[in-house]
Amino acid sequence: MKKLTILCLIILILTAISNVSVSAQTARNEVLIRNATVMTAARGTLTETDILIQNGKIARIGKDLKAAANAQIIDATGKFVTPGIIDAHSHTMLDAINEISSSVTSMTNVRDVLNPTDVSIYRALAGGVTTANLLHGSANPIGGQNTVVRYKFGRPVEEFVFPGAPMGIKFALGENPKRIGANPQPGQTPRYPITRMGTMEVIRDAFLRARDYKQSWDEYRAKVAKKDKTAVPPRRNLELEPMVEILEGKRLVHAHGYRSDEHLNLLLIADEFGFKVATLQHALEAYKIAPEIAKRGTGASVFADSWSYKLEAYDSIPYNAAMLWKAGVLVSINSDSDERARRLNLDAAKTMKYGGVPEEEALKMITFNAAKQLGIEKQTGSIEEKKDADIVIWSAHPFSVYAHPEMTMIEGVTYFDRAKDIQKRGDLAREREMLEKMDINKAPGTGGTAPRIPSEKRIEERDEADRTDGGNRR
Amino acid sequence: MKKRFFLLALPAIGALFSLPVAAQTYAITNARIVTVSGAPIENGTVVVRDGLIESVGANAKAPADAQIFNGSGLTVYPGFIDALTSVGMAAAPARTPGAGGQAAAATAAATAAPTNSNYPNGLQPEQTAAEMLKAGEAQFETNRNAGFTTVVTVGRDGIFNGQSAIINLAGETVSEMVVKSPFAEHISFNTVRGGQYPSSLLGTFSALKQMMLDAQRLQEMQKMYAANPVGMRRPAEDKSLQALIPVLNREVPIVFNANREIEIIRALDLAKQFNLRAIIAGGQEAHKVADRLKAQNVPVLLSLNFPKRTAAASPEADAESLDVLRLRAETPKAAARLQQAGVKFAFQSGGATNVNDFYTNAGMAVENGLAKDAAIRAMTLGAAEILGVENRTGSIEKGKIANLTVVRGDILGKEKTITHVFVDGKLFEQKERPRPAAGSGNNAPSGGTTPANPAAPTAPTAPAIAQVGGNYSITVEVPGQPVAGTLALVQQAAILSGSMQTQLGTSQIKDGKVTAEGFTFSTTVDFGGSTIEIFVKGTVTGNQISGTIDSPQGAVPFSGTKNP
Repeated sequence: MKKLTILCLIILILTAISNVSVSAQTARNEVLIRNATVMTAARGTLTETDILIQNGKIARIGKDLKAAANAQIIDATGKFVTPGIIDAHSHTMLDAINEISSSVTSMTNVRDVLNPTDVSIYRALAGGVTTANLLHGSANPIGGQNTVVRYKFGRPVEEFVFPGAPMGIKFALGENPKRIGANPQPGQTPRYPITRMGTMEVIRDAFLRARDYKQSWDEYRAKVAKKDKTAVPPRRNLELEPMVEILEGKRLVHAHGYRSDEHLNLLLIADEFGFKVATLQHALEAYKIAPEIAKRGTGASVFADSWSYKLEAYDSIPYNAAMLWKAGVLVSINSDSDERARRLNLDAAKTMKYGGVPEEEALKMITFNAAKQLGIEKQTGSIEEKKDADIVIWSAHPFSVYAHPEMTMIEGVTYFDRAKDIQKRGDLAREREMLEKMDINKAPGTGGTAPRIPSEKRIEERDEADRTDGGNRR
Repeated sequence: MKKRFFLLALPAIGALFSLPVAAQTYAITNARIVTVSGAPIENGTVVVRDGLIESVGANAKAPADAQIFNGSGLTVYPGFIDALTSVGMAAAPARTPGAGGQAAAATAAATAAPTNSNYPNGLQPEQTAAEMLKAGEAQFETNRNAGFTTVVTVGRDGIFNGQSAIINLAGETVSEMVVKSPFAEHISFNTVRGGQYPSSLLGTFSALKQMMLDAQRLQEMQKMYAANPVGMRRPAEDKSLQALIPVLNREVPIVFNANREIEIIRALDLAKQFNLRAIIAGGQEAHKVADRLKAQNVPVLLSLNFPKRTAAASPEADAESLDVLRLRAETPKAAARLQQAGVKFAFQSGGATNVNDFYTNAGMAVENGLAKDAAIRAMTLGAAEILGVENRTGSIEKGKIANLTVVRGDILGKEKTITHVFVDGKLFEQKERPRPAAGSGNNAPSGGTTPANPAAPTAPTAPAIAQVGGNYSITVEVPGQPVAGTLALVQQAAILSGSMQTQLGTSQIKDGKVTAEGFTFSTTVDFGGSTIEIFVKGTVTGNQISGTIDSPQGAVPFSGTKNP
């Protein structure tokens, strides 16, 4: 018993240490990164440059900067610094991704199902990702509301939510929404739509309903303004409220789709209802309609080099990003995967290989451009004075396959530190050893339920709508 | 070995309880009395008359007409309260009643949701436990014999589990049993069956929010209409929304089933958004959110069903995650941490398959830093306060309901016997179990329907065997898609045979075993074109069956009821 108590005590202390690191740092208000190669993603690359961080903001960028006596000093000689990577399409840290029961699920919001303890957050930080656009899945023509977060792993969930990020919503076109309808899960009834034209009709219908809904509120407000006492407020409709926000230009539409014809159709619906689509997601064939996209100021968030993993991806080409960039489209590259999120730097590098995108423009595709698409470019996405200190320190040029992040910071606080991580692995191994020795964690002597045998591979795609079509991406 | 034997023998004690005795006045003299409301009385008397506590104290006198028990060596506690159960509740109707034939169809019809709600089954907050409760002695016997006099009961299905009742565990009619109804509305972060909206956690939250908004609006409309109906369309009746109005008005608390830290935070966020009187049930990680619970004045119905490892060791299996290992080590500390943080809590059994885990794990909470009197309080007066019945029960005070549990030994220790239980002044007495002589043991089955047979000698360590035979309608809680089925169990002593039927087909039971704890068997099902092996483990309490089904795809719980 006494032994157990001591064990518990040690565990308590260990967990306390591991939890303290992030919270203790939040109090520190000055960090100086010295002598780095700074890839600003806005104003070129600066060599032998210092970055002074005060109260979570980039205070100064220059040479031979001075810091307060108690400042954290990081010698980055021979290292590269970039803005924190922004993943414009992710399902990390979501406890549910698709509300599959209906074709229009604009009432759902991924904010309700964020799970701040998801270890994939830490893995993404280890790949230099600081910010992500967490989207509903692609099962429905109109999916749920998204949330933009910063990966403040170890902090309370409300601190993850990016302050001031514009509201958004997921739309989905093509195979996923129609296949979900046509091939229901066991026990479910087939769902409308089961064709691409049906998908378009569902979207148009939702906007027509939203128009009527908005009108009913406008009429009510007019009555109230006229002091009409018989005015009865319309029922608040959580499905249509976000649709009205789209019509009013207050909510960004992020539309999943592969084929150019249906993305173009969506742009036409947007023209008809007078709003702008913020981003076309995946947009594998966007190069075919680049001028049409550029003309509307719509962004494209694409994969670097995924193609032919399903029929509607056959016309995907690795030059897509470069061609869109040349046509003046705001391009970002996203992961849509916990696993790929860890090496978005290499996906950006591929645009230099395929199509000759300049280095800074390639870096922007995983930083500044994504920030602009999400409406958070004033706070993050580039290394400029007065912006939030969302910063990655790399061991080598980030477009090298040998590079890895050594430190990942959000608002000047370190959330990933490779040296500390390596050090902590020993602590975790010891903690595990102690925990496994406790009676409560021992396997039953005889009998017991069957042990869990590891599955063959980790499921890479979180979006069930992608998973069920005879093959993950790749 | 001795400890093990004792625990295994506990369920058997039920067999030794007799039916309530007719006399209405009792006195327990020379007993240690833990009043909970005041200091313990080391040697005193409690007098019970006509269902109430007539007097209590060191100097209280046993009346002349009382049946007197010498309480020497015994401790009298307020009747223990299990702050959340599904005792007396039928499981949800099976979705494919055809599988169980007419009997299952009849059960389904009998337990089917009340009609004319505008909402699907699972989103019907108007369902009330008191209306579904089946009275009668048998199904409450296990819990009562274990020392519980009072429980909160409500179904476990759906997003809205419905409105719970606080009941005393004795009475021939429901109205005799109910102490308070409704106590609270209960919510689980479940989904609705059959692929209807909401079929994911995302939809669960949006559906809940829409219903709350609609209920708010209904109340406003009703007020407007009552003030002046002329020129206004009458607001439509809606019994589901109507049931939420007292919740929105904070007249009825709302219990959220939430164990993980993030689930508790989600519940607290929702409660804050709609200004609800929230209570957390489960609360495995509640201590991590203690500050918020304290700030929002939210009590916890803390589950004593501590997580434990059930999977056998295998060199091929993945190592268990650090989170899982930590959770098992940390959960017994939750109570002490809540106490320290000043968060109110009551203990509940948390759906534990063995009713005696309650005391064992309360003892474990004490070993992990909880003061012993705080542990007793969390199953008596502390619980009554959270349930809002502290003026009626929860302590041994003059005028309160005569709910008493009499114990020989330490209730939180390993050596204990419940000797008497008084429910509403009704006595349920256990004839003291004869100390087993060498070479003989107690092999009485649990459930208390078959008398012990002292003439059948068995080894002292031989456990009593559960009685699990029968036909059951079960629901397998596959996430997002519950599967209905039937279990036909044939028990011959410790050997179990029979079959299991679900939408995946009928399969024969293999390697079926019955122990004191419950039953296990394996079987195979065809799924997705291949045959997979599943391993089933469960227990039967009264007419309720529950357990887990383990497969290569993971473990899922199942539960159900015995077909009459």
